[in-house]
Amino acid sequence: MSEFRFDPFSPENDADPFPAYKILRDEHPAFWCDEAGMWVYSRYDDIMTALNDWETYSSAKGNLVSELPGRAGATLGTTDPPRHDRLRALIQKAVTKKALTHLEEPIRAICKTHLAALKGRTRFDFVAEYSSNVTVDLLFSLFALPKEDHAEVRVNAVLMAQTDAKTRQKGPEHLAAYQWIMAYADKLVAERRKAPGDDLLSDFITAEIDGEKLLDQEIRNTIGTLLMAGIESLSGFMSVMALNLADYPEARRALAADPKLIPDAIEESLRFNTSAQRFRRCLTKDVVAHGVTMKAGDFIMLAYGAGNRDERRYPDPDRFDITRKPKGHLGFGGGVHACLGTQIARLTCAIAFEEFLAAFPEFTRVEESLPWVPSSNFRSPSKLDLAVA
Amino acid sequence: MPKVTYIEFDGAEHVVDLPEGWTLMQGATLNGVDGIEGECGGSCGCATCHVYVDEAFLDKLDPPSETEEEMLDCTVSPRESNSRLGCQIKATAALDGLILRLPEAQS
Repeated sequence: MSEFRFDPFSPENDADPFPAYKILRDEHPAFWCDEAGMWVYSRYDDIMTALNDWETYSSAKGNLVSELPGRAGATLGTTDPPRHDRLRALIQKAVTKKALTHLEEPIRAICKTHLAALKGRTRFDFVAEYSSNVTVDLLFSLFALPKEDHAEVRVNAVLMAQTDAKTRQKGPEHLAAYQWIMAYADKLVAERRKAPGDDLLSDFITAEIDGEKLLDQEIRNTIGTLLMAGIESLSGFMSVMALNLADYPEARRALAADPKLIPDAIEESLRFNTSAQRFRRCLTKDVVAHGVTMKAGDFIMLAYGAGNRDERRYPDPDRFDITRKPKGHLGFGGGVHACLGTQIARLTCAIAFEEFLAAFPEFTRVEESLPWVPSSNFRSPSKLDLAVA
Repeated sequence: MPKVTYIEFDGAEHVVDLPEGWTLMQGATLNGVDGIEGECGGSCGCATCHVYVDEAFLDKLDPPSETEEEMLDCTVSPRESNSRLGCQIKATAALDGLILRLPEAQS
């Protein structure tokens, strides 16, 4: 029998990580992954324990499996409390459910515009022609960004999240995209400092913590992360959800008949195959788990996508069941670094699918085998052709 | 493992053994306690894990952080002197026997 390997950089893993996740959970719950050079937690309880214990499982040395230069210690996701909490508090209030109700109508209008462009078509790419357009429009309106930058921002935000399958790291094109986004963020910071508006970015740029101005590098890196998350992660998740609704027609028909069920289907999609599959932490002290000793300074990958399929937590985990109500899922991570955009994501997805299912209640996927975004962190189809009735 | 009792607004009681280090919010959401939502995932960002802490245990808790203070002003049910957010309190041996009463609504 050959030795078990887990390669988060391989195209096979991008396409279907779930069989390897099961082996990890059952046979190697604290696994050393040579390919990534870090440990892997795959059981729900271990991941939750790590997320709760930020003092041992630190984010300050980066949180992406393949980290980008200059991010460690300089973004919300890559800072530990107490500084993290103060940075986050600046943005947190603007993104609570209550603060977002004013976005409902603009989001609906954005969705309707892009659906109108698809009217009469019998097939289209859900990623390029719906989910990407909706999320880019939304982010541009949230941050009050100029429309003419749409295409370039999207291309670069998507690229910076990817990794190279062969070299098992960020390639030159990914680093160039990251530098482009950083330069774009720099330009925004300079503009908004000169003429602040009433948008989320201006608030953040002009904010002070304990009388101390945020460092330009912190602002720039955090804005870069918000662009990546807002564009790549949200659109990736919507694409995965569309895939689920193509593959599970009964669930789709139930949602089309009763859109009130959509929020529960979103939660189940976040559990079943969230786009945020894997993040990392760094140990600040030795930890013994499942019979192995992991050393202070070692990195560890938290495989949210594996924890979400852990039969120790969710019975019959490989079944997509929109009546499950999977509270506590890891689709947004958890603990102090749980996704900042949970409410924007839920609201946008709910409206996007209410409108989409009203326009296209019946659809199937065209290709049996899909192209997947190459990434050690994220998982979503890069193209999803749908045939509509 | 510390035992925590959650009493729903309608009186239903759930006794949960909570691993040390896990939060009171997680103890509820992972054990079928419907009266706690925890929709932000535990980042002190939504005020939907509002609990009323039994007075006898108030002194055993660290006081709320500035962020928790601010979020406590956003609870849907009235904020009382024993109001806390469950995601900000981790289970410890000292909290064994803790009783939490849940508000009428979280969102």
